[in-house]
Formats: sequence, C-alpha cells, structure tokens
Amino acid sequence: MTPTETVSLTIDGQAVTVDRGTTVFDAARMAGIAIPVLCHQQNERPVGVCRVCCVDTGERTLTAACTRPAENGMKVVTDSDRVRSARHTLVELLMADHPSPCARQRQSHDCELEELAEAENIAEIRYPKRKSPRGKDDSSFVIHVDHDACILCDRCVRGCNEIRHNEVLGRMGKGYTAGIAFDLNLPMGNSSCVSCGECMVSCPTGALTNKGIVHTVLPGDAVDTELLLRLPYFQEISGTFLNLNRNAVVVRNFKAGDVICREGEYGSTAFYIMKGKAAVHINTPMAHVSKKGGATGFFSKLTSYLTADSDSAETERESRSIPIDGPTDLPIDKPLAMLETGDLFGEMTCMSLYPRSATIVAAEDSVMIEMLRNVLDIMLRNKTLRSRLDSNYRKRALEDHLRSVPLFSSLSGEFIERLRDHVELLRFSRDEVICRQGEPVDRFYLVRIGFVKITESHPGGDLVLAYLGKGDYFGEIGLLQGGVRTATVTALDHVELVSINADDFDAMLELFPDIRRGLAAVSDSRLRQNRHPRAGAASVPLSDFLDQGLMEANSLLLLDLEKCTRCDACVRACADAHDGVTRLIREGLRYQNYLVPTSCRQCRDPLCMVGCPVGSIRRRETLEVVIEDWCIGCGLCAENCPYGNISMHPFPSLQPDIMEGGSSPKAVVQYKATSCDLCMEHAEPNCVYACPHDAAHRVDPNEFFRLSALR
Amino acid sequence: MRIDSTHRPWFWATLTALAGLTGSYILYRAMSGGQPNGGSVPGLLYGIAGYALMLYAALLGLRRKVPVWRVGRAQTWMRGHLWLGFLTLPLILFHCGFLWKGPLASLLMILLFATVGSGIFGAALQHFIPALMTRAVPLETIYEEIPHIRRQLCDEADKLAGSIAAMEAEDALQIEMEPDLRSRFIAIYSKSIRPMLAPDKEMKRENKLETLEYVFDSLRKMLPDEVHPMLADLESICEEERQLRVQKRVYLWLHGWLLVHVPLSLALIVLGAVHAVMALRY
Repeated sequence: MTPTETVSLTIDGQAVTVDRGTTVFDAARMAGIAIPVLCHQQNERPVGVCRVCCVDTGERTLTAACTRPAENGMKVVTDSDRVRSARHTLVELLMADHPSPCARQRQSHDCELEELAEAENIAEIRYPKRKSPRGKDDSSFVIHVDHDACILCDRCVRGCNEIRHNEVLGRMGKGYTAGIAFDLNLPMGNSSCVSCGECMVSCPTGALTNKGIVHTVLPGDAVDTELLLRLPYFQEISGTFLNLNRNAVVVRNFKAGDVICREGEYGSTAFYIMKGKAAVHINTPMAHVSKKGGATGFFSKLTSYLTADSDSAETERESRSIPIDGPTDLPIDKPLAMLETGDLFGEMTCMSLYPRSATIVAAEDSVMIEMLRNVLDIMLRNKTLRSRLDSNYRKRALEDHLRSVPLFSSLSGEFIERLRDHVELLRFSRDEVICRQGEPVDRFYLVRIGFVKITESHPGGDLVLAYLGKGDYFGEIGLLQGGVRTATVTALDHVELVSINADDFDAMLELFPDIRRGLAAVSDSRLRQNRHPRAGAASVPLSDFLDQGLMEANSLLLLDLEKCTRCDACVRACADAHDGVTRLIREGLRYQNYLVPTSCRQCRDPLCMVGCPVGSIRRRETLEVVIEDWCIGCGLCAENCPYGNISMHPFPSLQPDIMEGGSSPKAVVQYKATSCDLCMEHAEPNCVYACPHDAAHRVDPNEFFRLSALR
Repeated sequence: MRIDSTHRPWFWATLTALAGLTGSYILYRAMSGGQPNGGSVPGLLYGIAGYALMLYAALLGLRRKVPVWRVGRAQTWMRGHLWLGFLTLPLILFHCGFLWKGPLASLLMILLFATVGSGIFGAALQHFIPALMTRAVPLETIYEEIPHIRRQLCDEADKLAGSIAAMEAEDALQIEMEPDLRSRFIAIYSKSIRPMLAPDKEMKRENKLETLEYVFDSLRKMLPDEVHPMLADLESICEEERQLRVQKRVYLWLHGWLLVHVPLSLALIVLGAVHAVMALRY
C-alpha cells in the first residue's frame, strides 16, 4: 500500500498539511478557516464559476480556492485588502443583478448571496441593475423558478446531473441572456424533471424555491420524512425536499364503511391506497334526462304515448360506462367498482382542482396516503410508482377504457391483449402541446385523464374546434386521410393519454372493418364540422353577432319578437317535457328582431364540457351536447357555460346505501345540472312545437342570418 | 298571431270554403222558396258544421294545456282556430237564414257576433302589438318579474339620489357642492322623479308614461359635472321604469281581450248545445 502523499502550506500564516490533490478551499476548511463561496458545496465537483472564494497565493492574479489544488510551500492569504476588495466587488456585481430580497430570503432568510452581501456591508450597489428580466417559471407544482435570482453558479445543474443523474438541467443562452434550462429549455413542469428537489436544495439563492403548501391543513397524521423515505415511491427524492413538504402528505386510517370522499365535493388531495380496499360508486338512482317508461295511471300513460318517439339517446348510452377520477370506470347499470392496494385515486381533483367524481367508501380497514398536489406531482414523477400505476392500468383498466368507447366495443380480447403491451401511456402538463398541425402523424390517442383542446391555425389566429375529455380520441383523421395532423392539440390541464402507434392502429383497422368504418364516419363528420365555423365567420361578419357569441352556436333557439305574444307557451312546454323544470327562460339578449332566450346553444366550442369529473356532459355522436343521468351535481358545467344556459335543479330521490347492498334507501334532495337537450326524442323541440304563433325557431344561426340577410 | 304571407293557403282555403258555402246557401234559399229553415236538412247541416267548428276552435284552449302532446303543431291549431273559427259566423247565419227569433236564438247570435268580433279584435292586437312592444320596450323583461324589478329600481334610485344629495357614495367622489344645490336636487327628486317610480296606485295621472328628459337636462345644468354619471344612472333607471310600465300596459292589451273572448266562447258553446237540444226535442 502506497502511503498517501501530503503537501504542506500556510494559510493566513497557519501551517497546514493536507493530502495531495486537496483544494486550497478544503485545506482552509480543515484548518478552521472559512472562505466565503457561492458556487461550491461539499458534495459537488468544484467548478469555480462564482470566484467569490478568491484567495491570494502570491501569484500575479487571485485564484479560486475551490478549484486550486494545494501545493507544497504555498502561502495563501484569504483576508488581505486585495482579496477583500475583489470579493466585495464580485458580491456587489452579483447583487446588482439579484432581486433583493429574493424569494428564499423572504421565506427563510438564508439566501447565501444576500447573507454574504450583508457580511460584506454592501448596502448600496454602485452598478446598474439588469434592465430586462429573465423571467419566472411557475409551471412546476412544487418548485418555483426565478431566473432573475439565478447567479449561474451551476450548483443545481451539478445536483441534477452528477448527484441524481437525472440529466434534466443544463445551461442555455450566452452572455447576459445565459441561464439554466430544463431539457431543451422547456418550462420546468413540462420537462422530464422528476421533482426530486435536488436542484432546489442545492440552490444558494431564491432562484429555485419550494412552493410549499398554501392554506391547506390535511386531517390525519403528518408523515415523518424518514418513514416517507422508506416507502419505495419516495426513495429517489431529496430528504430535505420531502422535509419541506412534509405537511402536504398524511397517513390516514379508515375503518370499513368510512366515507373517504363524496361525489361533487371540491377537494385538493389525492389518495394512494397503502393497504386495504375501497368501494367507489356514484349516487344516481334517478334519471333526470330520460323519463319515459315509468308512467302510471291513465292520463300519464296517455301523455307518455302521445309524447313518445324513439329515444335514440338511450341506445347510444347503453354501451358507455361512467368515467371517474380513478384507475377504473363504472358500469352504467350498476355504478360500483372496487379499488385495491396500490391504486391511486383523486388525481384530477388534486392536479386540476375538479370536483370529486365519485363517492369512495372504505370497504375494509384501510391505510391511505392523502397528499396535496406538490407531493402527488413528486410521486407521479417517480419512475417506480409510475411504472406500477401504468402496469395496473394496463392490466385492469385498459380493456374497460377501450370498451367504454362505443366505437371500440367490438375489439376482440386477443387484440386488446396485444395492445396491452404496445400502448404507451403519456402525461402532459397544462398548456403543453401534444401534437401540432402539419406534423406527420405517427400515433392515435385516447384521452385517459383530463381535457384537451383541438385548434386549427389560421392567419388571424387559432380557431377552437373542440374540447375532448376522458373516453374521447383524436389523431384518426391524419392516420386515415393524409398522414399529417390537421389540427393542434393542447393539454388544458393535467392530461394522460393512451397512445397507439400507427402500426397497431393499421392492424386494428385491418382486423376490424367495423372500427374502420366508424372511424371514417367520425373523421368525415369532424372535418365537416371544422369547415362549418369558417364558413359562418366569412358570411356573417357582424360585430353584434360575434359579440353575443352567436357564431359559436350550432343550434340556437330564437324567438321572433314581432310574432311572439309573450304567452310563454314555449316555457310551459319545456317545463312539461322535463318533469316541471323548464330549461328555457324567455329572457336574454336581442339580435335584430329576435330574442336569444336562455337555452343551450349547442356550442361548437362547448366550454361546459371541460372539467366534468364524470363525463356526464358530453357530445353525442350527432353533436348535440347532453347531460346524462349520472350527473353528480357539482355545478362545474353551469359555472363554465359563458351564456348561463345550464341550471342546477334540486330533484328528490331515494339513494340506496351501496355498502348495505342497496337496502334501506334514504330520501335525499340531489342537485343535477339541466340544460336544453333539444328534445332529442322528437323531430322538433317541444318549445318550437308548442309555439302557437310561429315565433320560436331552432336554427343554425350562421345559416339562418345569412339567409335572412339575403332576403 | 301575425297574419303574414304564410297564412296565404289558409286564406285561400277559407275564401274558397266561404264562396262554396255561400253558393250552396243561395241555391238552398232558392230551392226553399226564400224561406230557409234551421230545422231543414241543409239548415241542420249548416248548424252542425258551424257548431263543430266552434268546438274545434274551443279545443285550442285544451290543446294549449297539453303542449307536449304530439297532436299537431300548436301553430297549425292556432291557424285553424283563426280561419275555421271565422267560418262559424257565415255557417250559423246560413243555418238560421239570417233570421233569429226568440230570446235564446237572439242571445246566441249576440254571443256569436261578440265572440267572432272579440276574436278578430284580439287577432288584430296580436298582429300589431308584438312588433310595437319590441320597438317601444327594448328593456322588456318577463311580465311576472315586473313588480320585483320595479321595486329594485326604486331602491336603486333612492340610493343614488341619497348619494348625490349627501355626496358620500364613492370614497373618491368628494365634490364641492353648495348646500342650496343639494336641497334643490332633493326637492326636484322628490317632486318630479320619485313619483315616476311610485307603485301604480300611488302614481298621479300626469306622471304616467312621461319622459323626464327635460328634468334631467335642467339637473345637468344645475349640478357640477362630477355628478353627471350618477345622474345618467338615475335617468336610465327612470327610463327602464317607464319602459316596464309601457310593457305592463301593452301586455294587458295583448292578453286582456281573452278575458272577454274566452267566457263568450264558452257561453256560446254551452248555450249552443242547449239550443240544439231544445230545437231537436221540441
């Protein structure tokens, strides 16, 4: 064994002997002499970029102690006037660009740069401040990035790449525009960052700070960081970071029968089942859309007979299931499912603050981790957990998910088995572009969680074509017709997609001609619809028309005020057709001699559909927007409708107790969203049919007003 | 219902029917030696047809009670009510041979004329008034909501007037105004503006449907510029109140005639049935 070679030097007159290769900085530290530094910390490779640790070794220039190896006979001075002056100037220059106090200084008063500036008695900065800000990045749920506070010390870059080996952080830009960047300069939330927190823990300033928990106190026992670090899904996370977020995650024990969350409630947490089982169901025993079939008594039967046509909505609905914010969907006939150990639920509520989609009750004594968004985000970025959740999804939910889409209900079990291993599960953050118009098409997407926006680019700006939610799909037009994307798709919130590559897609179409025909029909219909708004915009360039949003309407109820005698027959007919609850209020904006009453316009751009936690508001294949019976009454669609055309109404109902097998139902008042359903079972809506004065009309406004202008 | 070009088929059908009936009546009258009789076969047929059309016309009321029943579009029923209902008059006249004797027959004829007359009057009102109301009442609301909205307007006006008088409405609005001006404003508000907003029963005749343009013009001249936006708000409240009163009045005209037409129709049908029984039995 070779004895270690040592070197001897003096630092500030103190003799020090250290191993060869030791830096002057470390040698001084061993001798108890503190040299100020910003870009260096003990667990990282020194790079000497800040130069604050400059020392005088008797050479022509000062040298950075963190990178200068100690040499025999070296005389180092760390505190001379020359060194102090240089350090003072360096700190002053860094402070000139630093937003003081920065976020970290404000939060915990430990910004290393500001502490150093205070130690150097730097009160006034002689140098001009930066004029153009480098910006902030708030896209991550857990870490706030303030590029202005960054001193380019690269501690975060080394932490990410050398300590955690994540290879996400790097440098971008040159000179005054230089800064840190995530992947290829993506927003942090959209990058491949796994939220391990190492960069934030490494940062000496407020450039990378923990967002923390805002005004939320979770019930249950706060989880000790040590315990969390023992759980497989937290092992790759920085302990300091978990410590900072420890109040955002609790362990909760539920006894069998305990309600974990209720449908329609607003929440901000997700649950991970560590042990036990939970029953998930929705309370929708009462139909508020389809009413026929239950008529009793002569008059009711006569009315039922006289008002009945075929209810095509019913047949379309039969093949669907109810999407919920969990790893499985609920069957329509019996909306009940079981969640098991290892399942995660409440993801949409937690990430996008949507109402709870279902009531969840502990089916046996269970232990769950309840967490806020920052911790869920950390968890979801954990590769181990991610792969486990994805595997659960492939095993248990993929088949249900595919079969819940009527078009794919005919897929054989064998082909689903093939897809199970081939599909890719992708995640996107809010505002992230999933695919762009004009790009070559290589895959087909099925929405698993969240909502996406489909837009088409035009010289005057983007035109929104549609919003798609869980169970919807896109990408078929490009794959079937031209090989390029015909529209841009953007995530509206936290979105997860099932992606089927072009080869599997082609194989599916070859094996199942019905699916090919169905997709071709949908594709044609979507292209037709997409052409329609453009034609309308070109033919009716009236500002009032646009201001009132009439161009957006697919089907508009208009009352000709020169014919209408204000008899309210339309309102009464609407109420009679919908269990006494009218979906039409004879009041609204006027356009020319028409009143546009408060009644669903069947918008081309149905904002109401965005966020429905159970997908009960949806577009039928014939493009009408309908609210299905399993509405849980959260009211989000009513809030989203820009025209106030969705109302919440109380309906009395008997709610069976799912945990007791449906026995002893309780009488409750349940709110449900109602809006005009165009009386789809009839050729003509009841309001129009019942108008004795030929004043009520359901029209396509673009076509109607273009024709009336021609007349 | 607006009688427009879409009524043309009904018009021609009714006119043709009327011409045919008139021709048949002339023939029948000639064949009966100028002594037509309601009890004769043609007379009875006219009577039955006329009464059947009366019943059909009356069914419109029932049809409207069941708006969702798919028994024909309501507007078709309404057109039938108008045009076929109108044919009852010549049919009954042909039935009685333009002669009516006895109190019941006389009463029936009076009722028939009154019913058809009130119907034509109502049809005329429904033809013209909706367009008139649309132009005159841009701020139209649901009729049942009018009292509630008027109360709100009244409260809002009092609040605004109080703010102008006290100048305490907005924190930023600290306007120098002589006390004399304030008391003059209060006097004008109490005398000329507030009565406009009073409930109908308390309103003086001279205030009804009057615009207050000149009052606000003089107020604008009298009060400082800073107050003018609040005066504009007050003026728009008064304008809305005026329009709501116009709406109420016009609405009553639009639907009030039914209070005459419907009872007359019912009486006609009941007495018509009595007449038929009496005539056939005795």
